Amino acid sequence: MGFATEFTTITLPELPELNRQRKAEGWRFVQLLGVNTEAGVDLIYSFMKDGLLVNSKIEGVTKDQVVPSITDNFLAAFVFENETHDLFGVNFEGIAIDFGGNFYALAQKEPMTIISPEQKAAREKARKIAEAKAAKEKAAKAGDTPAQEQPKAAPAADELEAKLAGMDPEKAAKVRAAMEAKAKKEAARKAEAANDGEGA
Amino acid sequence: MGKATIIPFGPQHPVLPEPLHLDLVVEDEKVIEAIPQIGFVHRGLEKLVETRDYNQFIYVAERICGICAFGHSYGYAETVERLMGVEVPERGQYLRVIWHELSRIHSHILWLGLAADAFGFESLFMHCWRLRERVLDIFEKTTGGRVIFSVVKVGGVVRDIDAAQMAEIIRVLEGIKQDYKQIMDAFLKDSSVMNRTVGVGYLSFEDATNLSMVGPFARASNVAYDVRSLGIGAYGTLSDFAPITDTQGDCYARMKVRALEVLQSIDIIEEMIARIPAGDIAVPVKGNPADGAEAACVVEQPRGECYYYARGNGTKNLERMRMRTPTSENLAGMVKALEGCDLADVNMIILTIDPCISCTER
Repeated sequence: MGFATEFTTITLPELPELNRQRKAEGWRFVQLLGVNTEAGVDLIYSFMKDGLLVNSKIEGVTKDQVVPSITDNFLAAFVFENETHDLFGVNFEGIAIDFGGNFYALAQKEPMTIISPEQKAAREKARKIAEAKAAKEKAAKAGDTPAQEQPKAAPAADELEAKLAGMDPEKAAKVRAAMEAKAKKEAARKAEAANDGEGA
Repeated sequence: MGKATIIPFGPQHPVLPEPLHLDLVVEDEKVIEAIPQIGFVHRGLEKLVETRDYNQFIYVAERICGICAFGHSYGYAETVERLMGVEVPERGQYLRVIWHELSRIHSHILWLGLAADAFGFESLFMHCWRLRERVLDIFEKTTGGRVIFSVVKVGGVVRDIDAAQMAEIIRVLEGIKQDYKQIMDAFLKDSSVMNRTVGVGYLSFEDATNLSMVGPFARASNVAYDVRSLGIGAYGTLSDFAPITDTQGDCYARMKVRALEVLQSIDIIEEMIARIPAGDIAVPVKGNPADGAEAACVVEQPRGECYYYARGNGTKNLERMRMRTPTSENLAGMVKALEGCDLADVNMIILTIDPCISCTER
């Protein structure tokens, strides 16, 4: 027997039918997970049969939407539905063993929906790199200047800040200190040059 | 019929090394319902992918559990490799299987010892753990660690096992096999063990299938599902592999399946060592997982199937990493197996699913 994985996308209203169909066809429930995105929470239901692992994704479930529980057919899902509720704030209806938000003892509410500054900076950096790459390719295609010959521009202040935010805090502090020292040295050199000019 | 009473079980209990709470609804010493509660040691390890890059996270993954540490690093690496389209050299794949099966041996022998301790057979517990030490010694010699090994990396493994060490592993395993067979006889033939386990905590094939059970818990109810038979990695090169199953579905059958799997793992290691090809043990991995790329994989941990999922976002950090451990899948089956049992058998039934709460909560 081999192993293969598949990813499919379904809509929220299609979930009850998927639940019934998978049960009728003898699939085994593997797991349910949430992924936090800008549009909401992606829910991924995984089922397996004869070595085929199918991951069915419902994209962008928002907090005002209600997700029907699949525990009527797959009781093992009660753990994951309670977990997804506590960690992502997704509302499930009809969980066979419902802990009502007390499944995990958490210090913070819905912790998996919090986007950390590091993650934000990394995403921003990736977006800017992708944009710069696209612009470079566009320019190269237009034939203005060959892409490889374009001069390397100095990084903008906000770009630099985004880079620093993505770094290890200790390393970022060292880089900041070095940049400040360099700026001071540069200012002192300019002041000295100006004084020399006045003196002459 | 007496009045229904709720008896709290755990989170602190002599049979549980980890915190699991159960509300046991009992009538005349019979459990009519069990409501589980976990959540006492949730550590938020999956969230750490935001601050650890995909190479660093492997060290977080193997710290999810002290017993299946190797399996988690292996499963994580396998998933990220699928995400990035990395092909691990054959020798690296064989080495992973050797260490993974050694982990299964030490996990099952550890569990057998705990089971013996739970039904009051303390000398048997000591024999099991003495034997397990020899497996940990192999780990120490080949990886430098006894619990956390840090030998897996994305793209392969970081250490090789030379021919002399391979021969030493075979020699030690042959010695373990001889001693283990005597211990196994005590587990499978001793009347005091059978009195506590035969017919206790029965779970039918239909229930095990309906409740999506995995691992030895399912196989003891005749569910012939073992991820190793799917042929992922070097498991695909095994000349002959069939999951070990039993039809009885009780505590005894779960113990028997685990006991026999130890011998099966020794055979797998011996076959891997006999056929391991020469060559590289890893390939360099460059770049980051693509934005929106997704991959999923399963690995047969000692306790059963473990599911891994990864999503990239174009940076060195993953957007999401998910590990669904076997215990979280088996909780529903545990609740079912507890229904109708004697209060005195609750600890034995819980133990035979081999729960790992730290794995479950991550």
